[in-house]
Amino acid sequence: MFYKLAGLRGPLALFLKLGALGAADAFLIWLIAASINKNSLVIAGVVTAALIFLNYSFITKGAIPLKFLAVGLIFFSIFVVTPTGYTILMSTFNFKTGNEIAKEAALKEIINNGIVSDDEGTAYDLFLGKTSNGKYAGILENQISREVLYADENGVRPVSDSEISRDISGLITGAEGIKALTEEEFANADAEISALRFPLGDGSYAAPQGADVAARLIQSVFYDPVKDQLEDRVQGIIYVDNGDGNFVAQDDPSNRLDPGWRNFSGVDNFKSLFLDEKLRDPFIKVFIWTIAFAFLSVGTTFAVGMALALALEAPIRFRRFYRGFLILPYAIPGFMSILIWRGLFNTEYGAINSVLGLNIDWFDSPWLAKFAVLLVNLWLGFPYMYLIGSGALQSIPAELEEAASIDGATEKQTFYTIKLPLLLQILGPLLIASFAFNFNNFNIIYLLTGGGPTNSVEGEVAGATDILISYAYKTAFGSNVQDLGLSSAISMVMFVIVGTMSMYTLKKSKIMDSL
Amino acid sequence: MSNKVGKNSLWKHALAISLVLFTAFPIYVVLVTSFDPTGGISSDSLLPVRFSLDNYTLLFTDPTVPYWSWIKNSLIIATATAITSVAIGAAGAFAFSRLRFKGRKTGLKALLLIQVFPSFLSLTAIYVMMEQVFLITPTFGLGSIWGLYLIYIGGSLGVNVWLLKGFLDTIPLELDESARLDGASVPQVFWLIFLPLAAPVLAVIGVLSFIGTFNEFVLASLFLQDVERRTVAVGLQQFVGGQFGETWGPFAAGSIIASIPLVILFLSMQRFIIGGLTAGATKG
Repeated sequence: MFYKLAGLRGPLALFLKLGALGAADAFLIWLIAASINKNSLVIAGVVTAALIFLNYSFITKGAIPLKFLAVGLIFFSIFVVTPTGYTILMSTFNFKTGNEIAKEAALKEIINNGIVSDDEGTAYDLFLGKTSNGKYAGILENQISREVLYADENGVRPVSDSEISRDISGLITGAEGIKALTEEEFANADAEISALRFPLGDGSYAAPQGADVAARLIQSVFYDPVKDQLEDRVQGIIYVDNGDGNFVAQDDPSNRLDPGWRNFSGVDNFKSLFLDEKLRDPFIKVFIWTIAFAFLSVGTTFAVGMALALALEAPIRFRRFYRGFLILPYAIPGFMSILIWRGLFNTEYGAINSVLGLNIDWFDSPWLAKFAVLLVNLWLGFPYMYLIGSGALQSIPAELEEAASIDGATEKQTFYTIKLPLLLQILGPLLIASFAFNFNNFNIIYLLTGGGPTNSVEGEVAGATDILISYAYKTAFGSNVQDLGLSSAISMVMFVIVGTMSMYTLKKSKIMDSL
Repeated sequence: MSNKVGKNSLWKHALAISLVLFTAFPIYVVLVTSFDPTGGISSDSLLPVRFSLDNYTLLFTDPTVPYWSWIKNSLIIATATAITSVAIGAAGAFAFSRLRFKGRKTGLKALLLIQVFPSFLSLTAIYVMMEQVFLITPTFGLGSIWGLYLIYIGGSLGVNVWLLKGFLDTIPLELDESARLDGASVPQVFWLIFLPLAAPVLAVIGVLSFIGTFNEFVLASLFLQDVERRTVAVGLQQFVGGQFGETWGPFAAGSIIASIPLVILFLSMQRFIIGGLTAGATKG
């Protein structure tokens, strides 16, 4: 049975096969142990599933296709399917800046912030350090009564003078059982320290306000889990869940507590994309340009590439040189070419302005920026069209042309009535694939114009050259508001378009039938 | 050459020469810039007026610019990704095109559909995931090229199965069948018949995957924050993308050096690559 695993028979094949599986198993088991050790149970679970699947695929006698697919499927599920599912899920959530965390975490933060200093403004001199087991602890000295307390996360107790030491000015500089923080430790733990709360035993807390002062704070906001509402007992306001990821004041919905949480919102993201004017108008603008950009990109590169393929079809002088040189744009790494073109278009020092003797700010005008994007994409794309075009030309039988010329057709007629329709039929699937590629051609937009020019005065996110994918990227990871929910919804729209196109091509090209 | 050919080829030369100029323009400017010690991108004149190797020496001597590490990282990750994804793609494409099993067509369609999903949004999910992995084993987590490698090969099944399909369909099924009749097992058909026949197209897939990985920018720039660990794409972008201001000289020099291996690789494999590109198309 094991011989069959390797495909090639013999002890060596068996040894190699089992060795490889054993090594993979050893690594995965180590990974599981390490994740359990670090309390990452989800990862431990996923790796365990992969381990079982892998061994099942290779050790069972049947299921031969599985042996060929197992490894690929494991990576595909973890790194493609899971994140894709996550995106689909996110499109149904209100998930943006201010609404990023889970509700429990948001509640905890609101309650943590829901404190006020007491009416007297009680303050303490603070000596802060860590105990021998690494927990924060401090000595508090009431600035008025001069009462001295030892404080840690569990509470406070009085301290006798013998347990502490003071400098000449009377400030506490040391205490038994507490090791002072170094300046570096203090700087690194800034957030941690400002979140410290030492309970004073009467429902109030001492909270550090910097390195050596603490204030007495009273909890003002309380959570009522039964009614799912927050009460600010000091101001007497009740905050209720507004169903959209925030607590708002009962009688004033605009009075919102921060932070909010990511909240299931169903089709709201899609609704606002299509109905909310502030979002719909830029979306439609970007959508139209995306289609135009993809269409024009395919059109221009195909026209130029095909013309070149026709020009170089029959042997002419320098053909080898032309061929070798003109596919360079396809061979040079694309990100470099795009960045170089960005430099060429620069207003002050760009080579384009200096060659043409102009002083144009190319990326400041919507139309010029669009032209620049198409020109650069032509540079990048015509060699590919030339390559597939000349391949297709070769596959057209020469007899067709001969027959046409015998029948008295001119060269032009032959091309437009016989060759071109055939070429389009042959290249159809590749042209559609190229359309889909340009539809999602993030790099050229992102690296060349960044989607601009953008009317930032009006607070627009979408620029004149933004296509859907760069628009979605800005929406999700932009500098102002980051709206993952909306961005996921845009991605879903793109997916429907490109997916439909791919399926249509598949059906049209009859690839599925030939299998 | 007859008169007719000479006359006809006039427009051909006109077209080819204008495209040569178009193609050459940025390449020429980059060459000039790379030798210009002032660092601008042709600030005043298009003719080379200054010549120095400063930009090139900077790449290998400036301690804040670990250019050699960038190149090394890119070569390692691109090679590893190319080899692995060819292996995964070959095995997967073999299963999908030569074996018959339940869910085969559905599987193929699903692979394609998921593959065309605009996946950059999953950046967030992948980022969170790799952050967790980093805590467990930093070698494969956020910030390491091996973590990035795992993500790259995640997509290799979907992409390569489809790229290979057009070619696989041209190998007659009778070949497998007669081998099976002679008593060969399925894995033997894979190793002894399929692989030798598919070797040229697998090489093409490998080269395309190598070039694609070398070129990849978005994921790499998000993942590789540590200067030493960057790929050459991310590292070079920093020259003109803000961090160092716009320093075109070193960028141009770095781009030229990094392009050379890719251009050589591409040109030497050109014949195969063109064959691979058109395999799917010419079937009709």
